[in-house]
Amino acid sequence: MTEKELLEQLNELKSIKPNQNWASWLLSNILSQSSSVIASEAKQSQKPKIHLVSFSFLHHYQKALVSAALVVLFISTFALAQTSLPGNLLYPVKTLTQNAKIALAPKDYKPVVRMQITKARLEDMAKITDQEQVIALMSQNIQKDLEAIPQELKNIQKKQKTLDISKQVQTEAKDLNNMIARTQLQSQDKEALEKTTQDTQAQVLALIIDTTEEINQCPGFLQDKLANLQKYFTENIQIVAQWSPDEITQIRTFLADISNDIKAGNCLEAMEKIESINQILQIHSLDIKVETSTPTP
Amino acid sequence: MTEQEFSQFYKNNINKVFRFIYLRVDKIEIAEDLTAQAFLKCWQKASLRGVPQKRDDVAISNPTAFVYQVARNQIIDFYRQKNKKPLSLEELKEKGIDLPQKSFISQIELSFEMENLKKALQRIKPAYSEVIIWHYVDDLSTKEIAQILDKNENNVRVLLHRALEILKKELNKKV
Repeated sequence: MTEKELLEQLNELKSIKPNQNWASWLLSNILSQSSSVIASEAKQSQKPKIHLVSFSFLHHYQKALVSAALVVLFISTFALAQTSLPGNLLYPVKTLTQNAKIALAPKDYKPVVRMQITKARLEDMAKITDQEQVIALMSQNIQKDLEAIPQELKNIQKKQKTLDISKQVQTEAKDLNNMIARTQLQSQDKEALEKTTQDTQAQVLALIIDTTEEINQCPGFLQDKLANLQKYFTENIQIVAQWSPDEITQIRTFLADISNDIKAGNCLEAMEKIESINQILQIHSLDIKVETSTPTP
Repeated sequence: MTEQEFSQFYKNNINKVFRFIYLRVDKIEIAEDLTAQAFLKCWQKASLRGVPQKRDDVAISNPTAFVYQVARNQIIDFYRQKNKKPLSLEELKEKGIDLPQKSFISQIELSFEMENLKKALQRIKPAYSEVIIWHYVDDLSTKEIAQILDKNENNVRVLLHRALEILKKELNKKV
């Protein structure tokens, strides 16, 4: 195809035309309908446009921001709760925190932590005088805490530790007694608290005396224990024979060490080893302890 | 631009603009829609002269170049959105053009050779087919094409020459 032929063909494309009715309709449509659109656009364009600062970027960090806000809310609630007083909306949060502290404290130190928190609760209680119901409820809770302390002290396995912790609790109990005396509580509440504290003090004191006696009377007491253990193993040799060789060796070593410790006057070490043997016996479901299963000589 | 001036401008250019669009999109309905949008934009721009508008609004110095530029952009947009969704009449209505009360039976019959030429124009690069249609079909001068494309006339002449060669090769290839 030559260029001339091509140009001729291109020229023929001029015959392409739109439907003339459509073209007329379009013109009238544009002129009539666009006038309203144009008028509204012109009106809008004359209004001053205020561009607000866009915060759309926040959507990208929505999850992280919500989490952060919750953490901040959680922390600030706990922080505020620490300064709240009984009767305040946030005081239950403070009580919850204190209970958690007691629950999470190491088993041996639980009585001391409980006593310290009891003191803190008494301080809070002393600051309010016009809420009788709240005071009565708190007083009951404090008494329950005090009553629980002696049993927790008895649960401590090591005698020396029991003695040390009991002494700490006794000191704290004295402070508590003084605090109760200083409070402006009603006489009934005061008396109830004083009585419970004194009972606790008495029980702790008894525990201190008993434990001290046990430790002081070490040689004779331990000799009896050692004799009982040796007798038990001799009498139950068939049961012990079923244990693993390591355990049998461990028991033998413990018994020999206990004997040596008693001779050397290391009664605390001897007591600890006797308790270790007792634990091994408990593991083997021998609920009956040596002291009770064998007649005391 | 007054209504009378726009009407005259419309009558002078409607066939050309429609033809330009039709040769590029190959469907009468689409060509009609795009043509309508191009003239509507042109009228909106021309009639609002003097009224404060958007920052990029300037008076139309050359309405013919403007309407072709709009039409060209409409075609580009059409092909860009072609795979997404077809252009609906509702969208056209939202833009200010009411639906026709009666349907227009538009039909364009071309000879076999013309149909071949039209298809060849659609196969070559849009930049080539555009200048060919504008210059040889719509009778735009190289100066007017230069204004539409925002290039100098020499560039347009070179482009035209190259476009014609390409189209010739395309037609010979098929024949």
